[in-house]
Amino acid sequence: MNLGFVIGVFGVLILSHAAYSTIQYRGLLKIMEEEFSGPTMNVVLELIIGLVLCMWAALTFPGKFLSIHPDSDENRAVSLPDNSDFMIFNHRGRLFPPEVNMKF
Amino acid sequence: MGSSEKRPKDAMNDIPTFSAENLQNNLKVIQNSRTFLSIIAGVLAGIIGFTGLTGFVFYFVVMLITSVGLMAKAGFSADLYFDSWNRVLFDGFLGGLMSFVLFWTFAYDLVHIF
Repeated sequence: MNLGFVIGVFGVLILSHAAYSTIQYRGLLKIMEEEFSGPTMNVVLELIIGLVLCMWAALTFPGKFLSIHPDSDENRAVSLPDNSDFMIFNHRGRLFPPEVNMKF
Repeated sequence: MGSSEKRPKDAMNDIPTFSAENLQNNLKVIQNSRTFLSIIAGVLAGIIGFTGLTGFVFYFVVMLITSVGLMAKAGFSADLYFDSWNRVLFDGFLGGLMSFVLFWTFAYDLVHIF
C-alpha cells in the first residue's frame, strides 16, 4: 500500500507542476498576444509521465482482489469458536460413521 | 447474502455460490480505481485545453485503458474474482463521468481563464 501511495503522490505533484507551467506559458502568450494552440512539448511529456504514474498507483493502491471461490485455500471458514470450553464431544455422536470428506 | 458458509451435506450439489463479502471488496476496489482515474483524467483534459466532444473522447480512452489495466490486475480470469465480466468492464463508468466533467471544468478554469 505504501509504494502505491507514494507513486500516486508523485504523479499528482508532476501534474500540478505541469499545470503551473501551462499557466505561466499562457501568461507569456498573453504578453506576446498570440493564440493558445496547445501546451508546450515538455508539458505534454510531464502529463504523460504523470498519467502513467497515477494509473499505476490507481491500480495498486486501493487493494488486492480477493478470490470469491469458497473452495480456495485462502477462504477457509474454519475457526475455533469462542465457547469451545463449554463444548462436549464425548457424546453418542462419536459412534456414527463419518459421512463427509473433511478438508483439513 | 452473508459471508461464505457451506454445510457438508450439500457440498455435492450447490455450484453457484461464492463469498459475497469478497465480491463486495473487489467491487469497491474497482470503484475506487475508476473514480481516482476519472479525476486525474479530468485534470489532464483541463490542462491540455480540450473543449467539447474531444474531452469526452479522451475520457472514454482513459476508461478503456483503465478497463484493460483492471483486467490485467485480475489476471484475465474474471471467474476467480467476479461473477461476470461486465462488472470489471462497465462498473462505475457513468459515475466517473460526473467526476471527470467536474474536474475538467475546474482545471480548465484554473489554467486557461484565471
